[in-house]
Amino acid sequence: MIEFSLEVECRIIQAVLPEIGKLFALSSKVEDFSDLFPDLDDPELKEAWIEGLMEEAKVDRTALARLLKSPRLPYGRVEVEDDDVDDLLRGLTEIRFTIRKTSLKEVTDEEIETGMSSLSSTKPEVRIGYFAYLLIAEIQERLIEEIS
Amino acid sequence: MKICIFTIGIYEILIYKDKLMSFDLLNSTLATPLLDEKTELDECLATPWKVIVLNDPVNLMNYVVMVFKKVFGYNDTKATKHMKEVHEQGKSVLWVGEREQAENYAYQLQRWRLQTILEKDD
Repeated sequence: MIEFSLEVECRIIQAVLPEIGKLFALSSKVEDFSDLFPDLDDPELKEAWIEGLMEEAKVDRTALARLLKSPRLPYGRVEVEDDDVDDLLRGLTEIRFTIRKTSLKEVTDEEIETGMSSLSSTKPEVRIGYFAYLLIAEIQERLIEEIS
Repeated sequence: MKICIFTIGIYEILIYKDKLMSFDLLNSTLATPLLDEKTELDECLATPWKVIVLNDPVNLMNYVVMVFKKVFGYNDTKATKHMKEVHEQGKSVLWVGEREQAENYAYQLQRWRLQTILEKDD
């Protein structure tokens, strides 16, 4: 079991988690693997490729669901079974892509990378999406540090 | 550079830089060009493919390094070098080789949600 505490205030985590829950529910609808297939002239391979990615994404989402349901997460405590680490890392990545395509779709890459200095003037849904994006990045970074 | 050799009857067929050449086994003459154009045969032979990872605005740098280490078994230095190439130049060629293995790597990288494409290594 890997365990660590996030360096994020609990009230922020508790404010953001419901939004992450909503985005999690959206992930399977938003994420489309069909454009990922390399430009190869092989329809059968394409079908198997996309189906494979979709099936494996379900496993990743299950690991993420376990984390989101953890009663200690709202208090900044992350607990992950060793076998779940890879799936969870991928699940966290997927939800960051979902946030990028939904809550943060109007924000430029540059704004995100430089920390969105104009955060106070953005719409509430963008602001909460951005905090969710950062919280998930924090979990991912800490988890990678723990396994490195 | 690509060199493929196979035998038909008394001839060795040599494909070098997309040129089809013949080599007479009995007379040991030097190879001469037969065709300049690519043929279907060429397709069947193992053309090297490049596995290329593209930059994206979402994935964290340490995540990308971790994925390169996991998928290719690269050490930290090599994985970091490729990550920096992706970040600074927009893409990096991670691997070159046989198509089937290239597809395998591309699939694994996509499973980790890294934007990956395959290109023939001309």
